[in-house]
Amino acid sequence: MNMARQLWSIYLRFTSRFPSLRNIIPFIPLLAAWTLVTELGVFPRAFLPGPTDVLNAFGTLTYKGVLTQYLEDSVVRLAVGAAFGTALGIPLGVLVGLNARIRNAVWPLLLFFQAIGDIAWLPILLVWFGFSLTTMTLVIVYTVLFPIVLNTSLGVRSVSPDLHRAALSLGASKLRVVWEVVLPGALPNIITGLRNGLGYGWRALIATEIIVGTSGIGFMMFDARRAGSVVEILLGMVVLGLLWYLVDGWVLAPIERATGRRWGLVTQ
Amino acid sequence: MKSLTIKNLSKTYFDPYAGANVTAVHDISLRVEQGEFVSIVGPSGCGKTTLLNMLAGFIPPSGGSIMIDDKPVKGPGADRGVVFQTFALFPWKTVLENVGFGPRMRGLPAADCDRIAREFLSLVGLEHAADRYPNELSGGMQQRVGVVRALANNPDVLLMDEPFASVDAQTRMTLQEELTRIWQERRPTILFITHDVAESVFLGDRVVVLSKGRVLEDMPIALERPRVWEHLIEADTFKALSAQVLHKVRSA
Repeated sequence: MNMARQLWSIYLRFTSRFPSLRNIIPFIPLLAAWTLVTELGVFPRAFLPGPTDVLNAFGTLTYKGVLTQYLEDSVVRLAVGAAFGTALGIPLGVLVGLNARIRNAVWPLLLFFQAIGDIAWLPILLVWFGFSLTTMTLVIVYTVLFPIVLNTSLGVRSVSPDLHRAALSLGASKLRVVWEVVLPGALPNIITGLRNGLGYGWRALIATEIIVGTSGIGFMMFDARRAGSVVEILLGMVVLGLLWYLVDGWVLAPIERATGRRWGLVTQ
Repeated sequence: MKSLTIKNLSKTYFDPYAGANVTAVHDISLRVEQGEFVSIVGPSGCGKTTLLNMLAGFIPPSGGSIMIDDKPVKGPGADRGVVFQTFALFPWKTVLENVGFGPRMRGLPAADCDRIAREFLSLVGLEHAADRYPNELSGGMQQRVGVVRALANNPDVLLMDEPFASVDAQTRMTLQEELTRIWQERRPTILFITHDVAESVFLGDRVVVLSKGRVLEDMPIALERPRVWEHLIEADTFKALSAQVLHKVRSA
């Protein structure tokens, strides 16, 4: 008991000195367990390769340029789709949030189409656009769009009416109020929407790549299954997790800290 | 700064839950002279906030007219500055940007906006807080910013809606004294809404008592300025006037 406490305090002191360790340490037991299971030969190596095998595969595939190429393909697709989805979603969300009539007219449709999730669109999109980049982009745009629209409209509606009034009585035009008050006020929710949207979009992309199958991480994993290479499947999974972790930790979280948290709109 | 004239102003709502029309403001006529400080006091539900919202242009009146000098009021506008009970500072703008917002909306260059904002911040001793965000300030400091933000836009009339109701009692007294000082220096036309009798008497040249949407009493306050709580709290004239106003408010 005492020893556990001491270890805990060592951990706390250590991680407060090196905060980035806090992100790494939780993975150590997981890796250790994985190593142990594979080293003990609980499952045949061909079914469950160990961390070192995956690391080796990472080295080889990166060296050959396959992994980097596929990763680039996937990330670019997600970025393009997310850019379109955001560019459509924020204005739509603002419109829906500001105007009760539009909201009443559009809300049931939004919920209806949101329910037909991403890959449920694939069959019809494949009929219309074939195994093409258009199909993949449309799926991602579709997936990213809804969380952004719904969260943006929620954020817009959460801006206090007094802030609208204050801006108007200081001489702002209605359009200016949207820019100066509505958008910054909705920003924490917009970021939440973006976060969810990117998360869903990323998953939808992998699923789409598996089906459309020309390149990308999803394709790599499915292709590896065909070749019976479990190492590459696991590598794909690790890459997916890591990439999301980086995007969230290095891009989205800092934006959140610099805006909503600094302004006191988000507490904890 | 200009005068404010209200003629036969009324506001009737349809209350869908009661299924009937409700008259919040009933045929009010009132004139605030240029540079005058008028307090409006009344219990909650007397229609004072509805009145202010119409004056600010946030809601349309059902009847009557509102004029700034001889120009009729339509919708919200920069000619009427508003100070809110909730402060209504923009959380994503620094104190300096908040105060410079009005001038910026008028299209002044950034340097001028900053200069004006700093000048007005110095009026309430907050130059040092220029680069902070509102949520980093105390309630009293936030409302000081709220007051000078409205003033920095050089409005014809300043409308104040229970601005000091949500700060603590000591800070409230300080803010009231600061407001009378600023008013004496710059002489804006002020319409000040409150439910606090002592506050209405302390601040105003006149106190208008509102009840059930009507003007019940319009009373001149002949107290010397500058007004300071330490003197007035003991003064018989202040006590007598407060008692008179309180009597009217309670009879409402």
